[in-house]
Amino acid sequence: MARMILTFNKQVIKEYPLLKESLTIGRNEDNTVVIDNLAVSGYHARVDPAGSDFLLTDLQSTNGTFVNNEKVTSHKLQHGDKVIVGKHVLLFVSSAKGTSATEEDEKMDMDKTMMLDTAKQRELLSQQKGAPADAKTAEKVGVVSFIDSSGLGDIELTKKLTKIGKADTSEIKLSGMMMGSTAATISRRPSGYTISFTGGMAKLKVNGTVVKDTVPLKDFDTIELGSYKFQFYQKDVE
Amino acid sequence: MDIRAAGITDVGLKREGNEDSFATNDASGLYLVADGMGGHLAGEVASGIAVEMIDKSFQRWISYQPPMEELFGPPDPSLTLLGNYLSSSIRLANRVVYEMAMEYDEYHGMGTTVAALHVAPTLIVAANAGDSRIYMVRNRQIERLSKDHTIVSEQVDMGMMTPEEAETSPLKHVLTRNLGSSQDVDADVYEIEPDNGDRFVLCSDGLTDLVSEEEILMAVLEGDEPYALCKELLDIVLRRGAHDNTTVVTVWISGVEKSKDSPFKKIGLFFADWIIGMQKILKKFKP
Repeated sequence: MARMILTFNKQVIKEYPLLKESLTIGRNEDNTVVIDNLAVSGYHARVDPAGSDFLLTDLQSTNGTFVNNEKVTSHKLQHGDKVIVGKHVLLFVSSAKGTSATEEDEKMDMDKTMMLDTAKQRELLSQQKGAPADAKTAEKVGVVSFIDSSGLGDIELTKKLTKIGKADTSEIKLSGMMMGSTAATISRRPSGYTISFTGGMAKLKVNGTVVKDTVPLKDFDTIELGSYKFQFYQKDVE
Repeated sequence: MDIRAAGITDVGLKREGNEDSFATNDASGLYLVADGMGGHLAGEVASGIAVEMIDKSFQRWISYQPPMEELFGPPDPSLTLLGNYLSSSIRLANRVVYEMAMEYDEYHGMGTTVAALHVAPTLIVAANAGDSRIYMVRNRQIERLSKDHTIVSEQVDMGMMTPEEAETSPLKHVLTRNLGSSQDVDADVYEIEPDNGDRFVLCSDGLTDLVSEEEILMAVLEGDEPYALCKELLDIVLRRGAHDNTTVVTVWISGVEKSKDSPFKKIGLFFADWIIGMQKILKKFKP
């Protein structure tokens, strides 16, 4: 199936299948291919099916339509032609020598926000920078490692919100007369782990400084809560 | 705990229809924004269904309190029960939108983002899928409680693109996660403790495309009531061209009970009251 691939700065934006009806290109929203750029006229050009071929016509646009850097009024599209509209390039791909068809012949008349599935994502990413498409940031989990004489050892922070205190419902139970029922909480946020002081008389200190609200946690920060002392770090999830 | 919330949505200045939806449910403390996509206004259907389903199933679950095993999909052990209720409601809504998109030609390819916030006396749960965002303003600082599920932000995370390149990339709005495109989806969920004076903003990208985080922070700090804040932010968007549907929901909390006061302070106060009371009585009997 023939198609036009819209690109900008060598990056693929969207693909448009060329079906039986005409494809129009321009700034106006009722075009098939909407290019919101001042160098593009409201109705800039169109592609019409003509037998088994496709005909490109410039609609008397202000800045002109170019095919492989030559200005055209009317042109029969050949496989691989680069149609230049303003600063955008539309690549024409004919059905005889289609690209590796990973997509189905669905009508993609969605608006600007589209959803790409994993296969398409990989294709797009590898097109862009030639970087390994499944490079993933390693998953990490926070750990608190007790370095006092409490014998609590290493505790993995498996929960998004870890409550530390005297209460039975605490994920990390600590004792002491001054210890708050929920003395502190460690929460995992999009930006990373943070620790907050929530209550009680036992003071919370991070690297020696008293904390009354919330601070972010970095690897090997030393935390003191009452008479307890532990270190925070993140380890890779196996 | 007291909650004041408001929401506003606008089609903007360039689009034919509004495919955003939102809901504010003060009774269950649930606030939602969804930005739909799909041909011929199917986006409106997708976002509308998502908001309705999440609202209703969350409300039902917090009333009946089923255990984690009875929810839709496998429970997430890193979350509390409430967190699981919200995560599961989102999973359920995804399945409904997905099935409809599969079943009906006119809904084929439809989907929606979702940003959800649950506010309770001792817990805040923030969940999202897509690029609609949740912000928290606390101690005069703004923090994002949602993760953008877009190709460009994942590339930034992997160090393959700078934030500036992401901002100007034509792929800026291409999503890697949403509701409706696959049978199962996991929202990103975060849980934190609430604090007095916390103010939250949920929005579709119509807002964040045109207004910076610093500007949102300023508006939140200067706002004197929730609806006025929503209007103020929408006005900025409209003045700047409003190329997309825009939705803003804001939630303000106060009266959070915290045990930061020392017990000795309270004991002291008790005795002080007693002493003053005694003095008054003694004065009456002064010879």
